[in-house]
Amino acid sequence: MSSRIVVAQIVGAHGVHGRVKLKSFTGEPEAVFAYGPLTDASGARSFALRKTGTGKDHFLAEVEGVRSKEAADALRGTLLHVERDRLPEPEDEDEFYHADLIGLPVETTDGTAFGTVKAIFDFGAGDVLEIDHVSAKTVHLPFTKAEVPVVDVKGGRVVVNPPPNLFAPAGPPPSEEELAGEIEVEIDDGEPGDGR
Amino acid sequence: MTRSVWKGPFVDGYLLKKADKARSSGRNEIIKIWSRRSTILPQFVGLTFGVYNGQKFLPVLVTENMIGHKFGEFSPTRTFYGHAADKKAKRK
Repeated sequence: MSSRIVVAQIVGAHGVHGRVKLKSFTGEPEAVFAYGPLTDASGARSFALRKTGTGKDHFLAEVEGVRSKEAADALRGTLLHVERDRLPEPEDEDEFYHADLIGLPVETTDGTAFGTVKAIFDFGAGDVLEIDHVSAKTVHLPFTKAEVPVVDVKGGRVVVNPPPNLFAPAGPPPSEEELAGEIEVEIDDGEPGDGR
Repeated sequence: MTRSVWKGPFVDGYLLKKADKARSSGRNEIIKIWSRRSTILPQFVGLTFGVYNGQKFLPVLVTENMIGHKFGEFSPTRTFYGHAADKKAKRK
């Protein structure tokens, strides 16, 4: 678990008075201004931001102490970080920050090492854990209590109960016969040829 | 142009057989399928499908509000790794 988390990036200067274009990575884009002063990667420099406008896919902001285009240009590409402690704790016990989960070692219910959490995605069917398996393969597991019974962020481990056929070959692809006709599915309304 | 209603939803035949087999076995298995074009039907709710995206089978846990959509919608073929920032994941 990293103590410093990237929440935004300065992508360029805006105008000649030192304003910057800011790209937010937070779940709620405007939340980037609620975390107070942000820091650079080393934590040595602090950036107090004030929102001044909105662009197509970015915010316009003033950075305290930056008053010229040259100074703003010098900040281009700077990743802005926030301390993990400044993020509010999740309200639900089954809610976890991606930043807390990424990098955690994964083991199976019988204690065998399984891999490491690489990323978390939500493609519309619930959250999915991407795990770097010990065999160097990448596997995906749905983030459910059945497949991921234990998430111990403080203890630094995730326990998974992978489906038995996770690594099994998918079986033969469907034959021509199987693909030849579509299945008739009964629906409540609609008669053939009624023009609807 | 949308599909005519009188035809009913499109589903590849082998999918229903696989789903029936998985449901009757009662095991916690991923049903690996290639049919991204098939419509999600009410009888698939509660099952986990592995939908092929050209590289791997991505798990799709079917819920009620996914009925009527196609399987391919939930298994993107391109992946973007953004910054985690303050995003949260919820365990169901």
